[in-house]
Amino acid sequence: MSALTFELRTEPAQRLDLSPLTPAGLAGMKPRNIQAIAIGTSRQALTVGDVFKLKGTDVAKLRFVGTDARCDFIGQGLTEGEITVDGDAGAYLGSKMRVGKIAVSGSVGPFAGASMRGGRIDIARNAGANAGGMAVGEAHGMRGGRLSIGGKAGALLGERMRRGLIIGRGGAGDYAAARMIAGTILVKGRIGRWAGYGLRRGSLILDKEPKELLPTFGDCGTLDFNWLRLLDLQFKANDSRFRVGYRARRLIGDMAVLGKGEMLILA
Amino acid sequence: MVRPHGGVLEGGQGRRAERASARGQVARPRTGVMSKLKIKGVEIIETFAEAFPMVGTRIIITAPTQKWALIAAQTMTGFATSVIACGAEAGIERLLTPDETLDGRPGVAVLLFAMETGKLQTQLRNRVGQCVLTSPGSACFAGLEDEKKLKLGASLRFFGDGWQMSKVIGGRRFWRIPVMDGEFVCEQTTGLTKKAVGGGNLLVLGRSHRAVLSACERAVKAIGEVPEVITPFPGGIVRSGSKVGSKYKGQIASTNDAYCPTLKGAVNTALPLNVEAVMEIVIDGLTAPAIALAMRVGIYAIAKGGASEGITHITAGNYGGNLGPHHFHLKEIIA
Repeated sequence: MSALTFELRTEPAQRLDLSPLTPAGLAGMKPRNIQAIAIGTSRQALTVGDVFKLKGTDVAKLRFVGTDARCDFIGQGLTEGEITVDGDAGAYLGSKMRVGKIAVSGSVGPFAGASMRGGRIDIARNAGANAGGMAVGEAHGMRGGRLSIGGKAGALLGERMRRGLIIGRGGAGDYAAARMIAGTILVKGRIGRWAGYGLRRGSLILDKEPKELLPTFGDCGTLDFNWLRLLDLQFKANDSRFRVGYRARRLIGDMAVLGKGEMLILA
Repeated sequence: MVRPHGGVLEGGQGRRAERASARGQVARPRTGVMSKLKIKGVEIIETFAEAFPMVGTRIIITAPTQKWALIAAQTMTGFATSVIACGAEAGIERLLTPDETLDGRPGVAVLLFAMETGKLQTQLRNRVGQCVLTSPGSACFAGLEDEKKLKLGASLRFFGDGWQMSKVIGGRRFWRIPVMDGEFVCEQTTGLTKKAVGGGNLLVLGRSHRAVLSACERAVKAIGEVPEVITPFPGGIVRSGSKVGSKYKGQIASTNDAYCPTLKGAVNTALPLNVEAVMEIVIDGLTAPAIALAMRVGIYAIAKGGASEGITHITAGNYGGNLGPHHFHLKEIIA
């Protein structure tokens, strides 16, 4: 069986809510019923059939082709299966997801992986603000799983994150790891201002020192960290391109709050 | 280990014969006693080693060098020969190369056994806390996957006094506890098996102390290559096998007089006159098949030098079959 593919016919005139299109949501549905699912977000009613051309039958593996930044909520609350996006995605990609995989070949809008609890999201290019952060109405950001961003992440990366791993390969905007509770955020490349603002616990790992460091972080010097070896070997097993080594400068903070988090600048 | 009498060399003699005659019966030799199984002239007594169920776990200790991983492991497994007075039986299973460990550093696999889960938990916490946490550069990881768990870092983390941090990597939780040489990384839990077996054993009889010691050393080395087992006694060898009870009140175990060469003329001995020394190899394992394999490897290693080297008999200790469900019959093991 080939993956159930949703190919965008034309650029939609309104933002689309694609949250109903998940493997669990579509299980057991006939194509006719899938085409009738409402995905519009304005007064003008819009269904899957109006916007997408459907191919394939395997609902455990969904594929979106030619989507753009107006295609919101792809894989929201995902509980099983895989979703591949050949194109861009809008806001809330994989937010609140629990299990499964989402891979995006392009860029995504804000709130990607927001408040996700498990599973894995791989974004090939850029992510908007609040990636791995708090979904609206949630008390915490990402609570588990792995979010990988190939390009630049926007502001508030991993805000109020509580568990899990975020990897940013192309830098991040302002307030990375802001108010983070726990978990690990790894950013390669340039990072914006006020990184680690309100950091309670958790680790923000950077490959270069930020231009501006918050004064509420205390310097512990450059040290060996055995747990980085665990992380490194995990990357080696899953993602051969990424290396962290085991030596880093540790800045502990944010002393303005609990102050038990850390910013590790790889040596 | 508490051993009442171990293997019987001469069926139909000694106390059994006396009791039988008191009843007006004639004691028959025990089954197969006279079958004379031999390997290179060393007689294998047709008896069985009686072992008992235990709970066990494995942990992996790593360090910057193999030397320091070994020091931590040796310290942790010290004073862990017998549950009678040590609280646990523990030993080094094998050394691990950097590509076999989670953190890519040299390591050591350690096995720890006890009679009850609670006691094993206490011993694990105390031994890792006092001997591994304290050892320079060490880290400690789970070495056994099982649904049942024992706390490892989950209890040791409190040493961090609030500065400890937890990290979940690859679905496993680790604790980073700040210490004076950096951080002690310790996995949250390790697996627990209730299918472990303790007390697998071999008794080696020989014409000289030197011959028996040499054969036992060879056997312990060979058993060291078998996975999932340890030989917890000093150098893997016990020279003071014991029997249950004593003439003295409160003494739960006392010397196994039937196997003491200096008492041959005074007690109901199990030894021929030409035997000058007896040593025992006790084996604990995570599974019964692992014990059986270790015993087989041990028997062939002992008999390797043949009878001409001075080894006369290989036998095993049992409690007459009343102690536990695990009976390792030497005849079946060498088959």
